[in-house]
Amino acid sequence: MHGFFLGTSIILCFLVLLCLYRGICGPGVLNRIAGISAIGTKTLVILLLMGVIYGRVEMFVDISMVYALLNFIGTLAVSKYLEIEGEI
Amino acid sequence: MIRVTDDVIIKTIARILIPFIQVYALYVIMHGHYSPGGGFQGGVILAASLVLLLLTHGWEETKKKFNETRIAVFCAVGVLIYAGIGLLCLILGGNYLDYSQLSKLLSVLPAEARSLGILGVEIGVGLTVMAVMFSIFFDISTGGDSPEDEGQE
Repeated sequence: MHGFFLGTSIILCFLVLLCLYRGICGPGVLNRIAGISAIGTKTLVILLLMGVIYGRVEMFVDISMVYALLNFIGTLAVSKYLEIEGEI
Repeated sequence: MIRVTDDVIIKTIARILIPFIQVYALYVIMHGHYSPGGGFQGGVILAASLVLLLLTHGWEETKKKFNETRIAVFCAVGVLIYAGIGLLCLILGGNYLDYSQLSKLLSVLPAEARSLGILGVEIGVGLTVMAVMFSIFFDISTGGDSPEDEGQE
């Protein structure tokens, strides 16, 4: 079971790189927002899996909740910028 | 300057979410010595709730809760709590921030005084970090012009 969680984490790390490509090179601002949000969500899951691997889930749940929250606020801030600039 | 959004969904979500974010920030500050977190992280989460309020409800609504005078006051009060506890330990005969000396004042065991002292220091750090983080975000979003000054001119 330990190896399964480790394998899942490594696959998710690879998927983060794909999302990072979309975030850096993606045509338009909307693709970048979507890429960054996806990176945030994947990071959250990776953190929880790390918690399971180290056997201290109750600590990593705290960190991942903060990450989810700041991810939401960040996406909202970029959307706000788009609303003012009218770039869509 | 950040304008008020007219989207009902975002406003409602923010109104529901902000109290929970603040309670969670208090949890992070209070449990700083058991779990990840502490004064700085809790202060950042508190500032995030204020940033969310400013993003969704605009400055007019935010300044009823947290105006520029309060930003300055909270910055100073947090540092005062931190340095005050440190100096109190110095006055009571220990080193700077040696919390076990506080047991003479609080009439508890030295171990309990250490726990209470680190809690007080973290509350001070949290207040300062909250005010400074919100101040940085606010200054960037307004470009340095104070909206309170514009009303007077």
